Amino acid sequence: MPAKGEIILSVENLHVKAGSHKILNGLSLEVRAGEMHAIMGPNGSGKSTLAGVLAGRPDYEIVSGKVNYLGRDLLAMPAEERAREGVFLAFQYPVEIPGVNNVYLLKAALNALRKHRGLAEVDAFEFLGLVREKMKLMQMDESFLSRGVNEGFSGGEKKRNEVLQMTILEPTLALLDETDSGLDIDALKVVAAGVNTLRHDERAIVMVTHYQRLLDYIVPDRVHVLASGRIIKSGDKDLALELERRGYDWVRQEASAA
Amino acid sequence: MSAATAGSALERIERAHGAARGHMHGGAAWDRRRGDALARLMAQGLPDRRDENWKYLDWAEIGRREFALSAPGEPGVALPAGALAELAQGSIVVLVDGRYVEQMSTVMGGAGVSVEDLSSALERDPAALAEALRVPGDGADDRFALLAEAFVEGGAVIRVADEAAPEAPLYVLHFSTGRDASHARVLVEAGRNSRLQLVEHFLTGEGTTGLSNLACEVRLAEGAAVDHLRLYQQGVESVHVETLLATQARDSRYRQQLFALGGRILRSNVHVRLEGPAAECDVHGLFMVDGSRQADLYTVIEHVAAHTRSNELVRGVATDRGRGSFNGRIIVGEGASKADSRQSSRNLILSPLAEINTRPQLEILTDDVKCSHGATTGSLDANQMFYLLSRGIDRETARGLLTFAFCEDVVALVALPGLRRHVEELVVGRLPDRDVIREFV
Repeated sequence: MPAKGEIILSVENLHVKAGSHKILNGLSLEVRAGEMHAIMGPNGSGKSTLAGVLAGRPDYEIVSGKVNYLGRDLLAMPAEERAREGVFLAFQYPVEIPGVNNVYLLKAALNALRKHRGLAEVDAFEFLGLVREKMKLMQMDESFLSRGVNEGFSGGEKKRNEVLQMTILEPTLALLDETDSGLDIDALKVVAAGVNTLRHDERAIVMVTHYQRLLDYIVPDRVHVLASGRIIKSGDKDLALELERRGYDWVRQEASAA
Repeated sequence: MSAATAGSALERIERAHGAARGHMHGGAAWDRRRGDALARLMAQGLPDRRDENWKYLDWAEIGRREFALSAPGEPGVALPAGALAELAQGSIVVLVDGRYVEQMSTVMGGAGVSVEDLSSALERDPAALAEALRVPGDGADDRFALLAEAFVEGGAVIRVADEAAPEAPLYVLHFSTGRDASHARVLVEAGRNSRLQLVEHFLTGEGTTGLSNLACEVRLAEGAAVDHLRLYQQGVESVHVETLLATQARDSRYRQQLFALGGRILRSNVHVRLEGPAAECDVHGLFMVDGSRQADLYTVIEHVAAHTRSNELVRGVATDRGRGSFNGRIIVGEGASKADSRQSSRNLILSPLAEINTRPQLEILTDDVKCSHGATTGSLDANQMFYLLSRGIDRETARGLLTFAFCEDVVALVALPGLRRHVEELVVGRLPDRDVIREFV
C-alpha cells in the first residue's frame, strides 16, 4: 500500500493511436496517493482512450511514452495483472455477460486479487455479507444476486454495479470512465456516495467526465483539461466551475497562445 | 464415400437383410414392407458427400462403419455408466442396440402412459402398426430412415392417453455396444390434451464403433404438449444417424432440446410439421465438438397451418479439429397465414482448425407471416473478454466462463431443474478450460 502523497501513477509524454488515428499526443499526468483527480474535456479529446490504455484495453497502439504505476512499467503488464495489482476501471459502457452470475464474477475477481497478494480465498458466507452491505450502499435490488453480469440492467444499474464492484475490490488506482453519464440526479448521488467511500489516503481516484455536475458530489483535488490528446491546463476544483461557466474554448486559446 | 465403398456397404446391408428377415416379426405384410424399403434404398443408394444436405459429414469415417444389423445379444440388466440414475427410478425404457429390453424397462402404472416393445407390437397387431408407423418418403434425406425401415423390429411404441399428464418424465435410454449396426424405431403418440416429458439419452459401451441408426416419430394430437429432451453422450468412436419426424395437430406444443455432447459423428435430421392451426414448436440445440468429433444438425420446420409458431435456437461450439454444421430450413406453406417463425444460430469457433457451417434456409410461400432469422459464427466477444480480464480474472477462466455463458443460451431453457443442472455439468465437462471454471457453475 502506498503512503499518502506517494506517486501512484505517472504518465509521461504518452502518444497513442487507434488504427490510423492519433488519439493521445504527449499526455503527461501524475497522481499521488490520497488524491482525487478529474479529467475533463470535450467529446473526442481522448478521455476514454486514456482510461482504456491505463486498464489495458487491447484496441490501442502505444506509439511512445511511459506509464509508471507504483514503480512498475504499467504498459508491460497484461490487463488481468494490472487488475490484481490494484488498478480498476469502471467502464463507460459496462458489458453484459448473460450466463455468468454477478456474484460469482465478483467473488472470482476478489479471490484473484487475494491470491495474487498471498491471501486465503474469501469465506463464502462473509463474502455474501459484504456484497449485501455494499448493495445497500449502492441501493441495488436483491434480484442483482441471481442475475447475469449486467444482464438486462438499465444504464443506471450498470453504473451502480461498476461502483459496487469497485467498493468490494478496493483498488489502489480507480479509473472512472464517465461513470456519471446517463444518470439521473438520484442515481448520480448514489454513485457519488459510493465513490466517496473509497476516498482514502492510500488510494487514488481518476474520474474522466464530460460534465461538471459530478464534481458537485465528488470534490476533486485536481482538475485537468484534456484536449487534442494532451492535458492543456490543470488546476484545483475551481477550474471545473470555470469550465462549466465559460466552456472549453478559452482554455484552448490560452494553450495555443502559450 | 467412393462408389466402391458405397456399393459394398449396400451389399452388406442386403446380405444382412437376407439373413435377418426370417427372424423379424410382423408376418408377411411387414416382411414385404421391409423388402420394399430395402429395394428403394438399393435403388437410391446411401447419401454421400455429393448430396447437398449431407456434404459436411465425414464420409471417410462413416464408410469404415458397419451398416448391417447386429445379431441380438444377451443384454445385461445393470444400467450402463452415465445413465441418469434419478430418472431411471421412474418410468424408464431401455433400448440396447436398438432392441427393447423388458427386464430393464419399467413404466409407472396409472399415469396414462403405455410402452410396448415394438417387436411384440408387430407380432400382436401388425395391421395397426402398419398404419401407425409412417413409411419413409423417397426424399434424399429419408434414406437412413429407409435403412431403419428395412430392418424395422427393435424399438418402442409409447402412447399417452387423451388428457393424461404423467408427472414424472419418461426416460428412454439408448445404449449401443460393439461393432455392428443397430436400427431402432421409436413411436411416440401423445393423445388429445395430454402432457409428456420425454428424455432420450444416448450412451455407448466401451469401444462401440457400429452405426446406430434411429428413426423416431412423435405425433401430437390436438392440444397435446410434449417436452422432448435429447442428450447425446456416446463414446469417441460412435457414429449415430437419426431421422425424427414430429407432426402436430391443432393447438399442440412440441419442444425439442437437443444436446450433442458426445460421439465421433452425429447426424440428426429433425423435421417438424405444424399441421394444425395454432400449433407451436420450439427446437433448441447445442452441439459441442472437440477432438475430431463432428455434429451435423439438419432441421426442417414446416408451417402447414395458419397461426402456427416456431422458434428455433441453435448454438454450436467447436474446438480442436471439431466440425459442426447446422442447416435450418423453414418452410411456410401456402395455408400458413399469420405464421410466426424465428430462428437463431450462433456459433463459436475456439481454435484455428475447428470449423462450423451454418445455413439458414427460408421458403415462404405466403404473405402475412412473421419470419426472422439470424446466424453468426465467430470467436469470443472481445469486449466481454476484456471486461473479465479487467477484473483480474485470468485468461483461461475468462475463456471458459464466456464459452459456458454462450452455451447457457440453450441450457438455461431446460425446464426440469435437476436435468438442467446435469446438462450444465456435462457442458462444463466439454469445455477446453473445464478445470478452472467448475466452481462457478
